[in-house]
Amino acid sequence: MLEQLVDGILWDIALVVFFVGIAWRIVDVIRRPGRNDLAEPRSSGISAAIMANIHGFFPRREISPQIRIHVIAGYMFHLGLLMLLFFAAPHVKFIEEHITGFGWTVMPYWVFVLSAIISFAGLILLWIHRLLNPVSQLISKRGDHVASILVFVVMLTGCMALAESSTGLRLFHRFTVELLMIYFPFSALMHAIMFVPSRAYTGALFGRRGVKL
Amino acid sequence: MATEKNTKSGRMRKAFYFSILSLFIVVALPLIPYAIDAQAVGGNPDNVDKVVALPNPAINLWNNVRQRDGVIQGSSQVKSVDSGILINKTGEDWRRFRLEKLVPYGAYLMAGILGAIILFYLVRGKTLIPGGHSGKRIARFTLNQRTAHWFTAGVFWLLAITGLILLYGKFVLIPLLGAEGFSVTAAACKEMHNLFGPLFLLAVLAMLILYVKDNFFNLEDLKWFAKGGGMFGGHVSAGRFNAGEKTWFWLVMIFGIALGISGLILEFAIFGQGREVMALSHVFHGISALILISISFGHIYLGTVGVEGTLDSMTTGSVDAAWAKAHHDHWYEEMTGESVAIESGETSMQGGMAEGGVTSPGTGTAT
Amino acid sequence: MSTPLERGVEMLKTQVDARVESYFSSCINCGVCAEACLFYTETGDPRYTPIYKTEPLRKVWQNEHTLWGRLSTGLGLSKPMTEKDLSDWEELVYDGCSMCSRCSMVCPVGIDIAYLIRKVKEGLAAAGFVPEGLQTASERALEFGSPMGLTAKSLRAATTALEKEYDIVIPIDVEGAEYLCTLSSSEVVLYSEYIAAISKIFSAAGLTWTLSSKYFEATNTGVQMGDSSLAAQLLERLVEAATELKIKTLISPECGHAYTTIRWDAPNILGRALPFKVVHIMELLEQLRTQGKLKTTCCFDEHLTYHDPCNISRRGGVLEQPRHLLNQVAPNFIEMHENKEMNWCCGGGGGVSSNERAEPLRLKVFNIKKRQLDELNVTTLVTACSNCRSMLEEGLEENDMDVSVVGITEIIADHLA
Repeated sequence: MLEQLVDGILWDIALVVFFVGIAWRIVDVIRRPGRNDLAEPRSSGISAAIMANIHGFFPRREISPQIRIHVIAGYMFHLGLLMLLFFAAPHVKFIEEHITGFGWTVMPYWVFVLSAIISFAGLILLWIHRLLNPVSQLISKRGDHVASILVFVVMLTGCMALAESSTGLRLFHRFTVELLMIYFPFSALMHAIMFVPSRAYTGALFGRRGVKL
Repeated sequence: MATEKNTKSGRMRKAFYFSILSLFIVVALPLIPYAIDAQAVGGNPDNVDKVVALPNPAINLWNNVRQRDGVIQGSSQVKSVDSGILINKTGEDWRRFRLEKLVPYGAYLMAGILGAIILFYLVRGKTLIPGGHSGKRIARFTLNQRTAHWFTAGVFWLLAITGLILLYGKFVLIPLLGAEGFSVTAAACKEMHNLFGPLFLLAVLAMLILYVKDNFFNLEDLKWFAKGGGMFGGHVSAGRFNAGEKTWFWLVMIFGIALGISGLILEFAIFGQGREVMALSHVFHGISALILISISFGHIYLGTVGVEGTLDSMTTGSVDAAWAKAHHDHWYEEMTGESVAIESGETSMQGGMAEGGVTSPGTGTAT
Repeated sequence: MSTPLERGVEMLKTQVDARVESYFSSCINCGVCAEACLFYTETGDPRYTPIYKTEPLRKVWQNEHTLWGRLSTGLGLSKPMTEKDLSDWEELVYDGCSMCSRCSMVCPVGIDIAYLIRKVKEGLAAAGFVPEGLQTASERALEFGSPMGLTAKSLRAATTALEKEYDIVIPIDVEGAEYLCTLSSSEVVLYSEYIAAISKIFSAAGLTWTLSSKYFEATNTGVQMGDSSLAAQLLERLVEAATELKIKTLISPECGHAYTTIRWDAPNILGRALPFKVVHIMELLEQLRTQGKLKTTCCFDEHLTYHDPCNISRRGGVLEQPRHLLNQVAPNFIEMHENKEMNWCCGGGGGVSSNERAEPLRLKVFNIKKRQLDELNVTTLVTACSNCRSMLEEGLEENDMDVSVVGITEIIADHLA
């Protein structure tokens, strides 16, 4: 019964909430005013918007020493997770069967394990840093902690189900994934998508004035 | 009004316990669906060697099988590690060691130390700061040191729980969950244990780099040991780290690296390790783990309940000056330039201590 | 009669636009912005974390525009906003932020935090939580056209004195002149050598220019305070004065926020493009130099460095011109380690200098400039903003540092061929 629920209706709900929720959030940004600039620009805002999205991945040298842990642990987590999500064999198979209808090359098992180790290390380091640093202690909201813990739980249940030998563990992992998908559009996790318009707006503003973000 | 709940360390304590609780729930959750479906079968009774009155007709065969006079190695068409050994004698030795020595003695060790700590607490109580908090703070651990510590602690804790489930589950959990239910739990724990294992090795190395400087032993540490670390009353001098802390540091280094290396040998069994190497690694792994877990009870006790004002050092990064004077007087002198006078075995409080603010080695606050 | 809280919250609700929505949806509270803010780095106080200063706006956004916010306010589960949620932020936003935008440069998800703080100020101003110094400056600006209370009469008196002292001509109200020079009141009162300098330069370049006695003030306390309607009123007066004189180009003086306000913000505040071009005096000088209309001689020998005023360089885009100009006349010009768009603020922009209550904090955060200068061993600090100039002078004096501060236009004027 649990299997029918998790593999069936709950998955459908999660899928709908995830995609519709994200689309709604994006529309909510675009429909609002405040995107026009009447001042005569020095250079193109559009190319600056694109470049800002690319340059945003590289921290400025002036503050790099102070934000080392953010950058290193941050990339460990995100790149590791990217590899896990999109190149781990069980995931590619799942995406092929349930979402896209086509698959792609998977990474070897040892790369899978390495990505998981790196990703976990990054996530745990980031969360501990968030708890200990006085700045993030002050500004962190409940949603930041919930998001960190939820992502950790999803990854942990995935790890538990790695041997692919138990239906119960697989269902548990899928269930936590569905929870994450439902939580995602209404949480800080939306930064995964919203960073693009944010960097674009700011990049365009500065770019029109001739300053590279 | 700042209540315990509203202070920074109070909130962090809450967050810490909350995270422990949630992780524990996560580990316990796989047990639930299968606990419901589990067969109500208890644990399989162990095969006990029965004493027989009659001589065993197969005694010669069995002696050869047991290879008591040495391992018999042949050759086979399949050429790989240990392919020439038909019957693995070391496996039996290992199984017996595991069941007859490792499991029970490990349990005694853990229970014994836990019991001793509880007894100690009931008799001695919490060690309070003599004279109470002074209100003046001294920076003790940097943000990097604290991050590394909690990272190591979290990973160690996950590995300890999953490892103990793997070692003791057969005896403790099968009666509860049934064999099928336990197999799911064990599979889950094995995967988690294997994933976090390499992380622990990296964590230990990070701790080595960040903490080794003040952890070398000197003559003063002998005096500290002689006086029982002040745990039974009286004052002992110490630098930044006392002899007990240094011992714990080196134990973690030695056994932690032993755990890491033996763990890697066990997990990545694709580099030609034979069964004997694997069995030996497991033995080292188990012994190191049980020792470390047992002594960690002491570390956790002293760092939380046992000694007032200690947890602050690892959560906020700073400690009360009175705590420093009582437990690490030479370090206090280094940090403040004041000297600590000791009268009749107890620390006396010197000078006015009512100001706030943090004394730190450089300029600015501890980072 | 509405309460301050109601006025503030209602104003903040109107401030949520596409950017605000995008920015708050992206923020993951990482705290990287704190490392770029001198108010945090020099005090160690996490309350000066830039994104923390935007809390009033974030709370309104959350309550009005997010699922959890709407659910919990609708069901009465969350604490409603109180007056303290606004009044406690007055000090953080007006004393502890100069709107220098350095935080906007480092945010990993691209949030323009200074933009958000500008909007928070709208809410605080509507609620009446504005520092006294800034409030009185705004009242004077509205009444006299100048935050220091200077009138056309005072301007004429000052220019007459300068004409006599330097044997120059300072045209006022000349219709059809090509350039209209605006001024900040502190230039008239404290650094009038700037006005003499531009007279010499225009004369040497053979260009027609004028001041306006009707409205000469380039600064805008509406922008500093966060009151868009006041900002618009002041700008309308300026645009009217400029249009009446039929000038082609308006020159923004050595003042930081004046440049960003007139060049970049004015069309958006007024809702229309301006009928004239706007350049900063440094842009004009560089333009004239490359056209060959401005010839300079060497040398200003002092070991000097350049302080980039935040609103001219980072938020204004005038980055290379001062370098080119200084390289013509100063062989011993050396850059600070953090410069151009990553310079450190003087601490006095965005209205902080008008706020007496903020003085101790401002002097404390000057330590970053002190460290920058200590690295270099210079005798002179050149800048292009009179507000920066007085903030730097105060900080240097407080720290007993033997460095003199000069305006760049003066140096160029003193080295005309």
